[in-house]
Amino acid sequence: MELEAGNQACSYIIQSQEEEIKRVALELHESINQNLYTMQTGLNFIEAGIENQELKSYAKEMAGLMERTIREVRLLSVELYPNTLSTLGLVSAMKSYSKLFTNTFGILIDVHSSGEEKLLSDQKSMAAFRVCQEALINIAKYADTDHAKIEFTWGEISVRIDIKDAGKGFDANEVMESGSANGIAAMRERLRLVGGQCDLSSELDKGTTVSINLPIQ
Amino acid sequence: MKSLKDLVLTECDSLKQRVPCDFVGIALQNRHDPDITWPYAMGNRNEKYKYITVRYGKGIAGKVISSGTPMEITGFPENILGKITDYPIMLAEKLVAAYSVPLVWNGLPKGALLIGYRHARQFDEQEKQKLREVARNLESFLPSHFTDE
Repeated sequence: MELEAGNQACSYIIQSQEEEIKRVALELHESINQNLYTMQTGLNFIEAGIENQELKSYAKEMAGLMERTIREVRLLSVELYPNTLSTLGLVSAMKSYSKLFTNTFGILIDVHSSGEEKLLSDQKSMAAFRVCQEALINIAKYADTDHAKIEFTWGEISVRIDIKDAGKGFDANEVMESGSANGIAAMRERLRLVGGQCDLSSELDKGTTVSINLPIQ
Repeated sequence: MKSLKDLVLTECDSLKQRVPCDFVGIALQNRHDPDITWPYAMGNRNEKYKYITVRYGKGIAGKVISSGTPMEITGFPENILGKITDYPIMLAEKLVAAYSVPLVWNGLPKGALLIGYRHARQFDEQEKQKLREVARNLESFLPSHFTDE
């Protein structure tokens, strides 16, 4: 009974955090960035009407800075909450994130999907997305490889996602026993709360695979 | 006539002979947007640097270019500002120490020259001076990168 209440509280906290992150991301994208865009257009208009060369160049510099700020805010918004997750689905969102990941860490990611993609609830797709994100970040930090794969296998009642790398791997038992695997424990917990499961296998010098199983309904 | 790449890599090679570093990298801002890439590297362990794009103000190169001042890391990932994932070139090349100086074109910092080591290390003034000298030489090649010359 107590354990169930604890799980519900944990689930509630994660969900509240995700909703808040989503709210901030959408606010950045749909409100703040729109205002900045209007200001940038205004600055370009003012610049065109200025004759004094010094002021004109200053206005141009300001418009450039505004353009940079708009890009920064847009990227920050996407990093916080991938809008494509609710509009185009989990596979598209992962493909989009993989491109960002390659640009950031230089690691090439192959995303492959087999079977017909099914619609997941917001909570489930967000949990799967965050776990994939965490697995990829771990590859960038520890795997020492320049390539990884994400494979989606869609069934009628569940989806399996494998995140594989052929990097240096590690002794999974040793890491789990040492208590230094908080990230892995968090991935498992996040999936457990939406009825899914997360397994990890790793072998020294052969690589690591994170496998996710998530019921669709 | 030597290509721009050959000229730049010759400078990087001479730098590598003068300081015992493991890695030399040059980051440059794109011609038409503020993003930064690593077009030239020497002593690299893999090809990751070719795919990395750093945002203006982010990562070592982004910070050096946006601030116009050198940056030093002596024992990555200890005592760094932000998260370790904010330093992709350190992760990609397994660097533990790095020193980077800006490359200036038309009075503005538009690139960064970086030397890296795969072990913890302090940088002395002599080494920093050598890096600054090579940076001045490299700056003479920047017009070819930023214009159609």
